[in-house]
Amino acid sequence: MDPVNSTLARMLLDEITPVVMVLRTPFVEESCQKNQLSFIEMLSPFCNFNNIDVPVRTASDQPYRLKKFKLRLFYASDIRQPNIEVAKERLNQVITDAGEKDLSNLSSEPLQIESVLNSSQNEFLPSWFQYFNKELVRTVSFSEHEAFDHPVTCLLAVSSRDEDPINKFVDLFNINQLPSLLNDGSMDPKMLKHFVLVHDGVEVPLERATKTLAEMRSTFGANCCHLLCINSSKDGSEEHENLWSAYKTDISHGQQLRCFLSSDDLDELKKFVQDLSSKHIIPHMEQKIRLLNQQVSATRKGFRNQIKNLWWRKGKEDAPENPAGPTYTFSSIESQIRVLGDYAFMLHDYELALSNYRLLSTDYKLDKAWKHYAGVQEMMGLTYFILDQSRKDGEYCMDNAFTTYLRIGSSGQRNATRCGLWWVEMLKARDQYKEAASVYFRISGEEPLHSAVMLEQASYCYLFSTPPMLRKYGFHLVLSGDLYKKCDQIKHAIRTYKCALSVFKGTTWRHIRDHVHFHIGKWYGFLGIFDVAIKNMLEVLACGHQSKTTQELFLKDFLQIIQQTGKTYEVPKLQLPVINIPSVKVVYEDHRTYASQAAIHVKESLWRSLEEDMIPTLSSKSNWLELQSKMLPKKLRESNICVAGEAIGITIEFKNPLQIPISISGVTLICEHSPAVSEPNANNSIGEQNGETSNKSATSGNCASDTSSFTLSEADVALGEGETVLVQLTVTPRAEGTLKIVGIRWKLSGSLGGFCTFASDLVRKKVMKGNRKSKRSTFDNLKFLVIKSLPKLEGFIHHLPETVYVGDLRCIALELKNPCKIPVKKLKMKVSPPRFLQIGHKEDLEVQFPACLERKSSKQRSLRSKTDKVSDDIFSFPEDTSIADGTPISWPLWLRAAAPGKISLYLSVYYEMGDISSVMTYRILRVHFNIEVLPSLDVSFQISPCPSRLQEFLVQMDVVNRSSSKGFQVHQLSSVGNEWEISLLEPTKVLPSDFLLAGQAISWFLKLKNCRSVTDQDRPSVKADVNLLCGSEMVFDLYSSPLSEFHHCERVHQRISDQEHEDTVDFILVSRSQCEENDRANIFSHHICHCSFRTSSPIWWIIDGPRTVKHDFKEPFYAITLKMIVHNSSDDVVSIRCNPSDSAVNISSSGTTSAASGNEVGWHDLSLSNDVKITPDTPGTRVVKPMSSDTVPSFIWSASSSTHFTLDPLSSRETPMEICVFSPGTFDLSNYSLHWSLSSPSDQRVESRASSGTCQGHPFYITVLQQD
Amino acid sequence: MASTACFMIVSRNDIPIYEAEVGTAPKKEDAAHQHQFILHAALDIVQDLAWTTSAMFLKSIDRFNDLVVSVYVTAASIHTRLMLLHDSRNDDGIKSFFQEVHELYIKILLNPLYLPGSRITSSHFDTKVRALARKYL
Repeated sequence: MDPVNSTLARMLLDEITPVVMVLRTPFVEESCQKNQLSFIEMLSPFCNFNNIDVPVRTASDQPYRLKKFKLRLFYASDIRQPNIEVAKERLNQVITDAGEKDLSNLSSEPLQIESVLNSSQNEFLPSWFQYFNKELVRTVSFSEHEAFDHPVTCLLAVSSRDEDPINKFVDLFNINQLPSLLNDGSMDPKMLKHFVLVHDGVEVPLERATKTLAEMRSTFGANCCHLLCINSSKDGSEEHENLWSAYKTDISHGQQLRCFLSSDDLDELKKFVQDLSSKHIIPHMEQKIRLLNQQVSATRKGFRNQIKNLWWRKGKEDAPENPAGPTYTFSSIESQIRVLGDYAFMLHDYELALSNYRLLSTDYKLDKAWKHYAGVQEMMGLTYFILDQSRKDGEYCMDNAFTTYLRIGSSGQRNATRCGLWWVEMLKARDQYKEAASVYFRISGEEPLHSAVMLEQASYCYLFSTPPMLRKYGFHLVLSGDLYKKCDQIKHAIRTYKCALSVFKGTTWRHIRDHVHFHIGKWYGFLGIFDVAIKNMLEVLACGHQSKTTQELFLKDFLQIIQQTGKTYEVPKLQLPVINIPSVKVVYEDHRTYASQAAIHVKESLWRSLEEDMIPTLSSKSNWLELQSKMLPKKLRESNICVAGEAIGITIEFKNPLQIPISISGVTLICEHSPAVSEPNANNSIGEQNGETSNKSATSGNCASDTSSFTLSEADVALGEGETVLVQLTVTPRAEGTLKIVGIRWKLSGSLGGFCTFASDLVRKKVMKGNRKSKRSTFDNLKFLVIKSLPKLEGFIHHLPETVYVGDLRCIALELKNPCKIPVKKLKMKVSPPRFLQIGHKEDLEVQFPACLERKSSKQRSLRSKTDKVSDDIFSFPEDTSIADGTPISWPLWLRAAAPGKISLYLSVYYEMGDISSVMTYRILRVHFNIEVLPSLDVSFQISPCPSRLQEFLVQMDVVNRSSSKGFQVHQLSSVGNEWEISLLEPTKVLPSDFLLAGQAISWFLKLKNCRSVTDQDRPSVKADVNLLCGSEMVFDLYSSPLSEFHHCERVHQRISDQEHEDTVDFILVSRSQCEENDRANIFSHHICHCSFRTSSPIWWIIDGPRTVKHDFKEPFYAITLKMIVHNSSDDVVSIRCNPSDSAVNISSSGTTSAASGNEVGWHDLSLSNDVKITPDTPGTRVVKPMSSDTVPSFIWSASSSTHFTLDPLSSRETPMEICVFSPGTFDLSNYSLHWSLSSPSDQRVESRASSGTCQGHPFYITVLQQD
Repeated sequence: MASTACFMIVSRNDIPIYEAEVGTAPKKEDAAHQHQFILHAALDIVQDLAWTTSAMFLKSIDRFNDLVVSVYVTAASIHTRLMLLHDSRNDDGIKSFFQEVHELYIKILLNPLYLPGSRITSSHFDTKVRALARKYL
């Protein structure tokens, strides 16, 4: 940009122009006031020359033509340094006025940042900045260290009405009345004088004025006297308002000026001022410049003068330092140079001005006259700028001037401000906005209000810099806003913050967002613009990241604003409390009904698997769907179905993000209900209309109008610090039609209502129907089709304990009730898990428990077939069962706590409507309850075959009481199955007391006999139970109703592998304890199934014979006859081979036998390297030599040393055996082995068990004594 | 000597993903938002400066009164900047601090469960950063 056309150049042409001091008599002023103008005001429109076109010749010989020129007129009384206080007051007024003007668009929305960037500088920048800056610059006018405010000319005006005008002229220029600056020597009192006789055309005849003028001319000289005729218009109807409007600030635009100035007068005024400028002032200044230049050249220019000057300055250094610097009078050479420079500047001879300023600045610097120095530097900077030379020098000078002004303290502050403003304009003209902004920032000093304006201007500089620095813009706006607020300029503060909002809108810098919104909201509150205030305050409410005190402050101020409004507001985006929309759960009952809350939260898939077989299959299901499709439009068929009169529940999570408690009241749902319509097309419009009315009622806070079609529940919540609360809300439709849940409404702290609609947000509803899970908008999920009311069963469980011990067996009752008139029938029921819950028989309710379990007589006992009643199956109520009119029916259920832990039990009841016409033909009641099962007795068994008996086992039963406090009586142990007999090894009582106390353990030893035989398999065993409790004869029948089913379930549960073993036994231990509540004894049953007694081989054998024999050993050997009884316990024919061997062989061949003892089938390798291998197959006796000396050849097997026979299933056989002993002693007869193999390997059991094997002999000791 | 220091990690789109007051000066009520304002405004400078130099550590790029902003521009694709507002003159310490925090930040980025550009909520990271601040600043 050409510097001459820049803002700064225009400012300089305005500000740095010759000053004309005006002295006038009161009559002059009076005449002018007829036009409501002062004398200066009257002249000022004509003082501005855009093209004066005067040739000027200054120091150089080359004349040039002056184009733009301006005169500044001041009354003599105004030629002084302005009063700081008054100036400040005026500036404040400027700002306040500007603020008032802006009020109109205060409540408008902040601009989008894009539009801010696109708008041009001029339309965006507030216009009053220019004016303010000008006023600010003027506060430092007439300073003594600058010469451009020194009056060049004195204009003396006397009215023609004045008596004795000549004397008046003399009086006016009386030295005493002149400004002090002229008197104290800082300004040159000798100046060009110009005498004007103001002639009021109305009051005085022209002749008199002309006469006076002639007198003046003779007295003061012909050139410098002038006659000025004004007010020649008689009626005062002339209108020239536009001429003065720029100069008179205090007139309102509507007011008509009474103007007595005719156009002739105006022409004369114009001519007068032009003459004054071109013919007097400019030549005078030229002359003075030339004069001064000669002086300066004579004293300062040239080498000799410079040396002299330096020398002379040096000498002055010893003078005491004056803080304000030395004072210079107008006659001092420094002042003269300054005047020369300023005059040259004013006459646009910038080269001359610059050279003089340079000269001067070194002088002032040496003199340490800092203020003067700064002033000169400032002027140098400006001159550089206008000359468009050396930008760097210009900036350096400005910087230098600025810092120097600041350095001299508070007196330089305002000068610094002016210097800064010029500097800023300089930078702006060169598009250095960023630097300009930092200069603005430096200008902002102690005065908060001025700083605020400067900071605001700085922010705009950031905005206009390229690229725009928006963040800095925002930051400086906020800084400025804070300062405005400090000075009670709230409107300005709001304006700046509002601009800042366009930058910070939607920022994730939370502290910034909170600060801006909170303050702007608060200030709007002050101004009473509450809606905007609330809107802004709402943004900061959910400020969980702020400190507790800040949160309190925010909330307090917010509520205060709400209170001031005196109204209850309802706002759509209330962030307190935070509503977790995805957590919204909708619970409604269509054909699925729930007995309790707990049943609702069970997974749908679980219920579905339970009800799989019970509900009608797809064909019948599509039946009722088809039935619906006939009566309902397709669109509605898609929606969820609920029944009139039955509540729809919604669970919503409310979260308090703050560290302070808040209270929420009146939480309700917002619902829309549209009655059932016949035409599907009409449905839409009606629904929407209804929605509007519903919304209206919502805003008015009155829900009563809706009660006809549905009722809402209301909830109050108090949320603690950071607490999350689940709120349960219900809506109960009353009439058929469509019900839509639109949203939720609540009140914060009893004064501010908030509502939130679900439609826009995601609602993850608990979708209950799998086949309807297809992609539908969540909005539809909250739409319900309300159908006519239907009967609904209610179910309760009676006698339900909360905690039970493991094994506890008890009867509970399910009560079903239908409050509706319409009966329900065809009831079916299913329970889960069957291990814990079994459905009883109707008569079980009446019988006495536990007496019903007691065995009546042995005759009645019959093993109930397991297929008799499948526990997994559906239980159907008797055909004639029908429930209606609130008459309850009860049905027994058996509960047995099978395992410890928290157990969930499920129960599903299917029923059909008695009324065929209803839309739904069937419904399902789902009952769910939990019980806590505590550990009680821990029972374990160890079974080992009895070594001395065939078919008998020793059983060790360990019982540990694992409960924490409860004692149990161990009552009865039973083995299940008809082939077992069980008895105590020793029939004594082991327990010190009747009860097994907590933590105690006890072991019983029992004998178990397998009495299985081929012949009578179905005969039930009589001795299968053993009573472990003394003094009680009661025996429980383990085959009675609930126990046998539970046992079956336990068997299934405890099954180890898929293959069922025959070689297992099941035990049931029955214990009892005293119930706390009543005297009834509790029965506990512990089922231990699949206790394996299996050994590796199917054969049992024992050796029978004498244990001690006496022999005299007359003969070399003595043969002892023994017998071996072998029993086949398997169901197959077993072939058995008995291989006796000698002890030595037993040792040496152990490697082979042990290897062979495994499951060896068919041919297997025998180690032939073992040369002492005996082949006992050879008949006859063979004497085996001892292999080593330490093994005594004690005895040999004789007779049929190898026996081979087969055994039928479950049969025994005796085999004779014989040994020969050679000396007395004790012999271990275990050195034989039995090889067995199943004779029918094609049997299917082969896979699970070995078909052959080898068993080592049992130890059998025989003692042979020497008979004397 | 009580010092003021406010550390922030700013991700793409100028979204702050971590902030900590790590100075030893007693907390003032209005300090938090003032610091945010200064750091936020300094982003303008970073934006200009980051492309003119290959250095990652840009020391004292902006100032507000006696508070200075130093920035460490990471090479991450999401254009993460570590910003520190401080009043101390310990340039070497600040550089080391930035380097170590950058290392920590990379470790956070390596976490497969961390979504780049999301807020860093790891308490371990927080503890480490504060420990580093005590060590270097």
